Amino acid sequence: MRSFLVRQIVSLVVGVLGAVLIAAVISAIGEPRAPGVWPFLVAAGSRLVHFLEGDFGQSAITGTSALHVLGHRLPPTLTLLAEGAALAVAVGLPLGLLFSLGAARRATAPLMQIITATPVFCAGLALAWGAVNLLHWPVSVNMPVGAAVSPDEALQIDALPIVTVGLAGAAAVQLALRRAASQAGGESFRAGLKSLGLGGFEIERVFVVPQVLAGLAASAGEIMLALLSATVVTEWVFHRSGAADLFVKSVALADWNIVAIILFVFAGLTFVAEFIGRIAGRALASEGRP
Amino acid sequence: MSVTQTIEPSPPLLRSAVRAVGWCGLGLIAVTVFLSDFLARAPAGAADSTMMLTPPSDAHPFGTDLLGRDMLSETLHGLARTGVHALFGAAVAIVCGGLFGSIAARLPRPLALGLRGVLGVLAAVPALLLMILLTGLTARGYAPLAAGLAVAPLAFIRAFDRVDVNSPHAEYARATGIPATTLLRRDLTHEFRAMMASVAARALAAVTIILSTASFLGFGAEPPARDLGLMIAVAKATYLAAWWTAAFPAGALVLVVLCARLAAGLEEGERP
Repeated sequence: MRSFLVRQIVSLVVGVLGAVLIAAVISAIGEPRAPGVWPFLVAAGSRLVHFLEGDFGQSAITGTSALHVLGHRLPPTLTLLAEGAALAVAVGLPLGLLFSLGAARRATAPLMQIITATPVFCAGLALAWGAVNLLHWPVSVNMPVGAAVSPDEALQIDALPIVTVGLAGAAAVQLALRRAASQAGGESFRAGLKSLGLGGFEIERVFVVPQVLAGLAASAGEIMLALLSATVVTEWVFHRSGAADLFVKSVALADWNIVAIILFVFAGLTFVAEFIGRIAGRALASEGRP
Repeated sequence: MSVTQTIEPSPPLLRSAVRAVGWCGLGLIAVTVFLSDFLARAPAGAADSTMMLTPPSDAHPFGTDLLGRDMLSETLHGLARTGVHALFGAAVAIVCGGLFGSIAARLPRPLALGLRGVLGVLAAVPALLLMILLTGLTARGYAPLAAGLAVAPLAFIRAFDRVDVNSPHAEYARATGIPATTLLRRDLTHEFRAMMASVAARALAAVTIILSTASFLGFGAEPPARDLGLMIAVAKATYLAAWWTAAFPAGALVLVVLCARLAAGLEEGERP
């Protein structure tokens, strides 16, 4: 376990350092410098040193510190991400199992294929259309940012982005669950434990469920990527002013310091999710090993 | 009923049938794209200010948009543009991701692991953000190339991890003195013959989603030329009251991705 932990820590540190390097290269694009490859490399090296000192530069648009801008825009994105992740697990786990039952799977397979073939922005727009025309809810799709709404309306407006991110995450959770279960199904210990006299339910509860949950935890990085992608699109569709929305606008306005720090944070989130997931997965798997 | 018995894979025959349906769908879409100029009732962007936002009818089966453009014609033109660009992007993803990953895995171990580490960092960033970044650094005209390059890191990692450099046949080949280049050529030919169709369909699905999403966000097709993503972005202002302005382009987009997913044999829930 110790060598596994060391390997994971090294992997996390190398990954984060790689993300810092990429962020420094992106940040160097906006630096005033002479044309050519060498001046660019020098600028990237200089930015890397500044990054390692905790100086992420300033926004080219507002002139304020990139960290300050991020501190202002990241919390709404992280909140949306966390709410979406909670919904993804709450919906993805039971639905993943329910829709995998023999008859239910055959019945729902075409629907599930269509749902997972739907790009997130189409799903978000479809949910907004349904909310307006069927539920008569207000939506933020064509509403200016900061428009005045009542508390009830604010709740309804906030629900749709969470549902959109949650559904995208639920698809990733369902897939990870299915993959983990199919791997656990191939384990040879089941026959051995049966011959030792253990009942089927006990084998499932004590040995198989931890293995499946371990597989799910090990896919945390993949699930995080799905949630991040969905968050980017959802913030744009529903006019939420978060970090993901800021990323899109910063690329359009060539504000490379902001682009670099947001990209670094997103890559860091994926690496941290991968790290925690692998350790949790390992702990769960060893718990369920006969 | 046990967890593992509950989640059972589809039978092989059903999977083959589903893949065949996917390829037939992609074939029909390819024919439609090829004949789009002939099938469309109006040239791309032809506006008629007397027919603004008319719902679907015999004259305009898909209705018209805010500028009075025939949505059937516009959807066909948009589908053609999305299809051609996605094909190009998928080819880039296969070469720069799949092929490069297969070759990189067979390089000397330190170099191979170094490359995997670099591409692993890029794969930790959502492909959509990478594509937006690449398009922002170049120009919107390079969007299909950027989409292919954005998908490439994940394709690289998948191809790299699939290679078993210590397989019995590789050990045997090394022991009998077969040159590394001959072994590489043989392995690549074998792998791509076995998996090319599935890899191509998977790349097509991924690139189509990324490309259309980037277009929706303003980093894809350049107006006046419109792909499906840009059509949906434009329709966002009107679709809550005039559903047809977004529904038909979105339907065409979902159909392309669905057929590609089925052709690739992707499980429900699996992202390409």
